[in-house]
Amino acid sequence: MTVEVCGMAGDGTIAAGGLINEAMSLGGFSVLGFDSYPAEIRGFGRCVTRSRIGSEEIVALADRTQVLISLDDEQSISRVPFLVDNGGVIFDNNPSGYREETKSLAAKLEPGISLFGMPLGDLATGASGTVRGRNLTALGAFTAIFGVPPDLFRKAISDKFTSKGKAVLEANLKSFNAGLRYAEEKFKDRATPVFDVRNKLGSGKRVMLSGNQAIAKAALDAGLKLYFGYPITPATPIMEYLAKQLPQRGGRVMQMEDEISSIGAVLGSYYAGARAMTATSGPGFALMTELITHGVMAEIPAVILNAQRGGPSTGLPTKTEQSDLHAAVFGGPGDSGRIVIAPTNVEECYAMTVKSFQLAEKYQTPVIVLTDFYLDNRVENLASPAASSEEKADWNMYPHDSTRGKYWRYASTESGISPRALPGTEGFIYTATGLEHTERGTPDYSPENHMMMSAKRYRKIMGALADLPSPVEFSSGRELEVGVIGWGSTFGSVLEAVNTAAERGLRVGALKITSIFPFHADVIRSFMNRCGHVLIPELNYSGQLANLIGHLHNKDVIRLNMVTGVPFSPSTILFEIENLVGAGT
Amino acid sequence: MNPEHCVIIGNGPAANEAALTLRGESRDLRITVIGQEPVRHYKAYLLPEYVSGKLAEDDLYVNPPADHRERDIKLRLGQKVETVSFDTREIILDHKEVVRFDSLIVAVGGIPRIPERLQVFSDLFLALKTLADARIWKQKLKDAETILMVGGDLTSLSFTKALLAMGKRVIFMINEDSFWPLRFDDEIRSQVTERLTAKGVEVLNRRTIKGLAGISENEVEIETDAEKLSVNAVGAFFGLVPNVKFLARSGLHIDRGILVDDYLRTRFAGVYAAGDCAQVYHPELRDYWVSIGYKNAWNLGKIAALNLIGGKIRAQAVAQSIFRVGGIAVNTSWWTEF
Amino acid sequence: MKTPGKILAEKVKHIRDSNQFAVRSSALPTWCPGCGYFGIHHALSGCLKQMGMPLHEIVVVSGIGCAGRYPFFSNTYGLHTVHGRTLPVATGVKMANPGLTVYAVGGDGDGLAIGGGHLPHVIRRDVNINYLLFDNSMYGLTKGQPSPSSPVGTTTKASPFGTVDKPLNATLMALTYGIGFVARLFAGDPEGMRNAFVEGTRHNGFSLFHIYTTCVTFDKVNKTWDNLKRQIHPLPQNHDAGNLRKAFDAVLDDDFTTGIIFQKESA
Repeated sequence: MTVEVCGMAGDGTIAAGGLINEAMSLGGFSVLGFDSYPAEIRGFGRCVTRSRIGSEEIVALADRTQVLISLDDEQSISRVPFLVDNGGVIFDNNPSGYREETKSLAAKLEPGISLFGMPLGDLATGASGTVRGRNLTALGAFTAIFGVPPDLFRKAISDKFTSKGKAVLEANLKSFNAGLRYAEEKFKDRATPVFDVRNKLGSGKRVMLSGNQAIAKAALDAGLKLYFGYPITPATPIMEYLAKQLPQRGGRVMQMEDEISSIGAVLGSYYAGARAMTATSGPGFALMTELITHGVMAEIPAVILNAQRGGPSTGLPTKTEQSDLHAAVFGGPGDSGRIVIAPTNVEECYAMTVKSFQLAEKYQTPVIVLTDFYLDNRVENLASPAASSEEKADWNMYPHDSTRGKYWRYASTESGISPRALPGTEGFIYTATGLEHTERGTPDYSPENHMMMSAKRYRKIMGALADLPSPVEFSSGRELEVGVIGWGSTFGSVLEAVNTAAERGLRVGALKITSIFPFHADVIRSFMNRCGHVLIPELNYSGQLANLIGHLHNKDVIRLNMVTGVPFSPSTILFEIENLVGAGT
Repeated sequence: MNPEHCVIIGNGPAANEAALTLRGESRDLRITVIGQEPVRHYKAYLLPEYVSGKLAEDDLYVNPPADHRERDIKLRLGQKVETVSFDTREIILDHKEVVRFDSLIVAVGGIPRIPERLQVFSDLFLALKTLADARIWKQKLKDAETILMVGGDLTSLSFTKALLAMGKRVIFMINEDSFWPLRFDDEIRSQVTERLTAKGVEVLNRRTIKGLAGISENEVEIETDAEKLSVNAVGAFFGLVPNVKFLARSGLHIDRGILVDDYLRTRFAGVYAAGDCAQVYHPELRDYWVSIGYKNAWNLGKIAALNLIGGKIRAQAVAQSIFRVGGIAVNTSWWTEF
Repeated sequence: MKTPGKILAEKVKHIRDSNQFAVRSSALPTWCPGCGYFGIHHALSGCLKQMGMPLHEIVVVSGIGCAGRYPFFSNTYGLHTVHGRTLPVATGVKMANPGLTVYAVGGDGDGLAIGGGHLPHVIRRDVNINYLLFDNSMYGLTKGQPSPSSPVGTTTKASPFGTVDKPLNATLMALTYGIGFVARLFAGDPEGMRNAFVEGTRHNGFSLFHIYTTCVTFDKVNKTWDNLKRQIHPLPQNHDAGNLRKAFDAVLDDDFTTGIIFQKESA
């Protein structure tokens, strides 16, 4: 079931959506929530929260909404096309003024929709003295109409508002209860329109986290010492979260003057041995390119998070997209191969961020973690993530004592990894440089040296495959009519589409790729060769993953490219799958 | 260019037929149907068979689900009209929405009537006018064995048939003015009593109810001037009154229902009334007649629609089939159905 | 009679005994003969020796330009980074391990052109690093283009008719940004440099050493040795380095006074 709350900025829409997520999470449901905010900072504009709730793991947003809670009817009109035919709408039937038909929500609804009109504002004012509690009144009504145990909401309200003081908390609970009582009475004879949440409750403690929160938490848990960053949508929340938490763990957040100094300071820190990180988006990432390639050449670790958004250039700052793959893998001058990984959900945001520090250290290279606006801002409930000491362990390869006094920083080894001394260590003095250099580290432009060092660096990066997660297959069998490959947040939609297709009897499979570079060519190729068609849906125009791995298939891969600024809907992918199944070879 | 907006208040046979007729005759007219019940138009006279289980809910509906959308008729269900302002040509819905209209057909039908002196017991009476009522009856009849029917309108007779088919015990308390608009005389009384008794119904005649008491969820005690009864449910079938209270101050001429001429026009231009809520003028009788029953309502809805778009059809009823009862003339072509 | 060979041997022994080259790496500098950078290098090496800091606890961060090659000639840890980003990278090094002593070195292009945007911020933060700005008003590594500190009328291949833009004054900028230690120095005065380096290294906060030097290959007109020797003179004895207003006055009055212009320990 999908529940939306829609209102104008200032109506408490986001708070209401957050409470729905929390309450249903407390009730043991799987929850995936995603909000849209007005683009402007000032108080205008529409806010919509979407919460998809289920008793099984939710991996994607649905196309349609079962319940719409309207805190501003005129804004909510925009959400009407997304309602299912037999959905329900909770709205205020005693607004302060009369509404024209053209601006009325009720006028736009299809006849199958159940209307639950109640005087939300009056009830809130009556209960708590202020009309601002009407978002909570609406939640009370929601609880009554759909049979959700009210205590789940009361606990969520309590958790959220206790810090604001007793008066606020009590006022909010009163508003909530007023809505609950009214709806219980008025709608007691109405059949529950769509989804009976009774008897669906599981158990188990889960926390709600957004992608950004998971990343920040992972960095903290992994022992991040220094964060250098510059504000940019949608990465800013990571810096803000760490700004509060990191000092408590002996670390520091420094807002730098730009993205260039941010990545510069990260490299400087990691050169000196401290775990450091920065997070940015497309435009900032572009600025970091030069120093990233410096990190590649000088073999200095760094962790860079690129929270992708609509591009190119300033693009669409508050819209989601996955169009920085090329920039992440190839951006920058020279053959500057580096590690690029992309989580597909909130849990992976955590796990892969923890891992990124280890990868950076072991392979002495910048590691780029690609997320996107949707993944960064959506919330999921999951078991509270934690990192084991193994997962946090220092993966630096330090030089052996026997090389003291004759240390060659860039010694060419079989793995390509040269042990790295940290400043402050006696007997291992060296200079890291962005110039091509000999194994000792002195600048050198000779042909044989450049060949050899280029090979060494590439060998080293390709060796990371051993430590990078392999693609994961979800399929109904060996030979598949259609195989769908997804990366980033698109994978959730792919998985749901493929599962639905399999339920309908189609032989389909999904492949999840999280290691973008280097990528596991053999695994991908072998999957592709078992498929009649390979479909790669991506939220970018040019098909960037397809460009990267398409050649592994013995025929053309089929690209499904959308740059709508919104997440892929499973039904779009499903439609494509079904077309392909009929299409033959 | 904004097309004209015709609004139809109601979603019964008159309203539904009016909407379909309008659309059939006019491609451009914007048509909105506002119905208070949150369900599509259904044949209310089949409710007794729905309650008995002989028919499924889907059998009640008249139009296929997507029909109105395909015909571009805006259907607004579960929404209630609070009042109508004829000078500004605005309909106010009870959620404070203003709908402007150019032409209007009022087809709100009737609501179950409870005689004034029994209104204090209205919580204990169950009517069978709407689908919601029918659902309540279905639930109740899972446990209820003995039903007391009070009244005697058309629905009561067909519902009694249904109850008997379900194997329930039926006690029928004939209430004289429930047979309105039929003039209830001894001949009709003995006819009705005989037919009911023959079917196994216990008929109580000439009773005055002294009191009702709800003992439990499933038990009601009734005291009359002649006996005390204990039953599981009490049905109220005193006929319908036009559902026009909300128009009392609108300026329309209202007697029991909305007064219209023989072309179904009210005193306001472009405003018509049809079906159970209307009282139609008969120029020969120089009086107004009330229609009852599905077929009549359907017919009047059609006529109102045709006249609205420029037709000149008189809502004729054959003079003999109109009775005068209690100062009101009634078209009783339905009576033969029973 | 002392043969050239004998003179050389004596000199070498003298140098070896003095241990003054311990700081130098085995790699030979690639700067042009007569380049002022040699003097700076000598002075900083002397400073490190004088202060007795373990060489493995020192990091030299450099950018791009002739000055960028510095770390290779110094027997300390080094980080040769990209053009203009010396200061933020050095900031990262210091914050990661405050126990290290960090020197940032760069030319006037690195520090005032591409890197100009970082200077105000590293000063605001007062990061405890030491910045040697080798100011020869010329882009030497790229074979002679004007720099942000070149005087008006500087003629190069890139400015054949002479520059028209006004030059930047690094010391004045630093004072405006609120720096806590700035010394203006002359590459021809190793003693003066060394003393200032020691003082500035000891200063707990960001220290700028604005060093006038030459580009013997591409500048035959402005900052030549002769010109500089003639123009440069030390600050008056009574210069109050703790007074900001007086520091401004000194810098505004005279472009060629050398010494510690301003020094104030942070609270």
